[in-house]
Amino acid sequence: MSNAGLAQFQQVFIEESLEGLDTMESSLLALDEGGDGELVHTIFRAAHSIKGGAATFGFPEMASFTHEAESLLDEVRGGKRAIDKPIIELMLRSVDCLRGMFDRARAGEPLNDATSDGVRGELAAMMGREAPAQAGPARRAGDQAGAWMIQFKPHAGMLASGNDPLRLIRELAGLGELVVEADLSRLPALARLDPSECHLGWSIELKAPVRREDIAAVFDWVEDECDLSIEPKPTAVVTPAPAPAAAPAPANIADAAAARGTREASAESSSVRVAIDKIDSMINLVGELVITQAMLDTFREEFDPSRLPLLQQGLTQLARHARELQESVMGIRMLPIASVFNRFPRLVRDLSQKLGKQVKLDLHGEQTELDKTVLEKIGDPMVHLVRNAIDHGLEVPEKRRAAGKHEMGTLKLDAFHRGGNIVVEVSDDGAGLNREAIVRKAVERGLIKSGDGLSDEAVGDLIFQPGFSTAEVTTDLSGRGVGMDVVRRNVSDLGGSVVVRSKPAQGSVFTITLPLTLAIIDGLTAAVGEERYIVPLVSIIESVQLKPDALKTVAGGGELFRFRGEYLPVLRLHELFGCEGAKRTIEDGLLIVVEGDGSRVGLFVDGLVGQQQAVVKSLEANYRRVQGVSGATILADGSVALIVDIAGLVRLHGRRKAA
Amino acid sequence: MGKKKPEHDRQPETVEIGLPVDCRMAAQAALLSDLLGALDAPATQLDGRAVERVDTAALQLLTLFRREALSRGRAVSWLGASTTLCEAADTLGLVQALDLPVAAAA
Amino acid sequence: MAKILAVDDSASMRGMVAYTLRGAGHEVTEAENGQLALDAAAAGGFDLVLADVNMPVMDGISMVRELRTRPAYKGVPILMLTTESHTDKKMEGKAAGATGWLVKPFDPDQLLATVKRVLG
Repeated sequence: MSNAGLAQFQQVFIEESLEGLDTMESSLLALDEGGDGELVHTIFRAAHSIKGGAATFGFPEMASFTHEAESLLDEVRGGKRAIDKPIIELMLRSVDCLRGMFDRARAGEPLNDATSDGVRGELAAMMGREAPAQAGPARRAGDQAGAWMIQFKPHAGMLASGNDPLRLIRELAGLGELVVEADLSRLPALARLDPSECHLGWSIELKAPVRREDIAAVFDWVEDECDLSIEPKPTAVVTPAPAPAAAPAPANIADAAAARGTREASAESSSVRVAIDKIDSMINLVGELVITQAMLDTFREEFDPSRLPLLQQGLTQLARHARELQESVMGIRMLPIASVFNRFPRLVRDLSQKLGKQVKLDLHGEQTELDKTVLEKIGDPMVHLVRNAIDHGLEVPEKRRAAGKHEMGTLKLDAFHRGGNIVVEVSDDGAGLNREAIVRKAVERGLIKSGDGLSDEAVGDLIFQPGFSTAEVTTDLSGRGVGMDVVRRNVSDLGGSVVVRSKPAQGSVFTITLPLTLAIIDGLTAAVGEERYIVPLVSIIESVQLKPDALKTVAGGGELFRFRGEYLPVLRLHELFGCEGAKRTIEDGLLIVVEGDGSRVGLFVDGLVGQQQAVVKSLEANYRRVQGVSGATILADGSVALIVDIAGLVRLHGRRKAA
Repeated sequence: MGKKKPEHDRQPETVEIGLPVDCRMAAQAALLSDLLGALDAPATQLDGRAVERVDTAALQLLTLFRREALSRGRAVSWLGASTTLCEAADTLGLVQALDLPVAAAA
Repeated sequence: MAKILAVDDSASMRGMVAYTLRGAGHEVTEAENGQLALDAAAAGGFDLVLADVNMPVMDGISMVRELRTRPAYKGVPILMLTTESHTDKKMEGKAAGATGWLVKPFDPDQLLATVKRVLG
């Protein structure tokens, strides 16, 4: 690593190695379940890549650790050793050790620790060695002479392998003065010559006091492609010779250390690996843009009204290409959810073993793509849900048998598109939520007065309430509720929502709904007085204009309207956000029926201005968090519009009602 | 050396073969058939002035051609040869067999 | 200077190789497995091919074997990027037609020295 330019590849190496470790882990788990031998090759290849890169990118400790793991895998691969549980177990722990090493590498800490030393020893022990082998056999001292005679007869095929005697003899000339004599005796007739075959031979005198191995090194690639003899010249008159060619430079340790320093500084900057085809499609689109732009440019020179259709066509194209380019650029941030899903087989295996439960993990939709930021942050809430499902949802085998179910419980992770959203579901076929226990706890906590008349959805929703779960809840409650408020908060930080559906004795489904991407939303622009608000298109069901008598006022001042057979609350945006000069009479304005967090409400606005894509700017980053608003955007005229956070508004409304 | 090319040497029977800039293996199938054709001509003039890249296979081919042509009583001469070509022949100990000017190698 | 094809499934290794060689003035094309390398090789006459051994889709050894059947790649130097623990792989690579090898780990200087050695 002799300069900063190379440090970037160290970063890439860490990223791809972590992916490699994920692959090793999932393949090991698949092997554990009786997967085929091809998995061993996959695991081996991953370990091998890490080893090769680790030494190159300045992590010798990692290279040496991986070498042990690789050697063991090689024995398995070569059929010397059968793959069994203890090996899989040890390899899984090796994967953990390497992950730890990468973490410490990022933090600039020493890579080895007691655990990695221990596992390393176990790997060696399993291969029947006391300690990891260190240096190889001592190098045989090369004999020395004042001058050498070299007989060099290439086999016919040597030229085709890219080893040209011309290069080899030139290299020899670097060692000292040469007298070269060609042997033409083996040449065939011209008509029978295959030019790619070598029929020449050489007798070479090297007048230099070098070691035999210096000469042999020149021929190291062609040992088995030629007849070679290197003999000391008996009666050599030693002539002073130029110094032998420099040996390959040793790895520069100081530079490697320096590069490690720069890695510390750059560890925080995150990067995205982009598939080539995504880049190609963007390059294509940019090409299209340039062409359209050139066409439009002709209007600068001469504008003739007869060409108006052409101008319109050009502008339409421009708009389309800009939109496609925008989609492509956003697409760069989209990565498959597999990287998150892949950590679960291990978690499920470890946890179910610990709890004495049998769990089959079903993964679906691994290729569903999510925004990179969402992907990074969705892991923790999902881990939470999965832990809960195994801990509290799925029953021990005896209970399942008693309930007439298969002893093996099923935990399913699924990801798919629905509308403009990504839906991630964690479902189990366990006992389902324990309604009585939840209601009892919620009453104890003062969240509700009683459970009477509460729908199952409402009861399920209680577990997400802050203050519902505490340490003692986890011990005495057979239902769920461990830190679910944190799950909901994490998900809503991502602009998403989480709900639970549950059936006693049949299981529960936690549904996380996430926006496709964080940075751009499709929205309707609504006018409220002088202000403009963006309502995300994905939450809109319909907009309706009400007749004066369609509004019902209920006790406490709440307003309801009838929509598709149910009564929905009306939220007046001008009241919520305190807008001046807005319409107040219901028949003058418009109701936008939206759905958020599983509930529907009608947003009362003056009217709709239009539909547009809004680039989301964070309010928190620029101002502070505002309830009911998920961000802001800049409109075409330069003014700022707030983006309505539907789920937040619905919750806000729920709390006001409760208060 | 190009200046040494005397006009009167150019009898109709003399075949002139120009070696390509890149004279390495990929170019040699074509070169071989040219050379085989030239074996029947009373005299061949090789032009190696353009050669920038050369390998052992090329020099082997030329060596063999010259040896075979001479054994049939044909004349082979050089219109000229690049430094690269001469140096390669020198390294492989083929300067004499090819009758290349050693001076050019310097 | 020379046209070089760098083949490795590891983006970091491939990136390091390409970056180093470009820094030395070479024109480098990258490919992430043997199959893609064969496609790239068909398009352009490379002076040198550097290839990893273990790769998905098509490994380096199969790639060399295939490349050597093409007349344009007879005699073109092909170096395998390999690790020291696999002497048998070196020999397998040689048998398939590789010119030689460069042992991992290597640093940029060693890479350049070896490339210089092959290109002469």
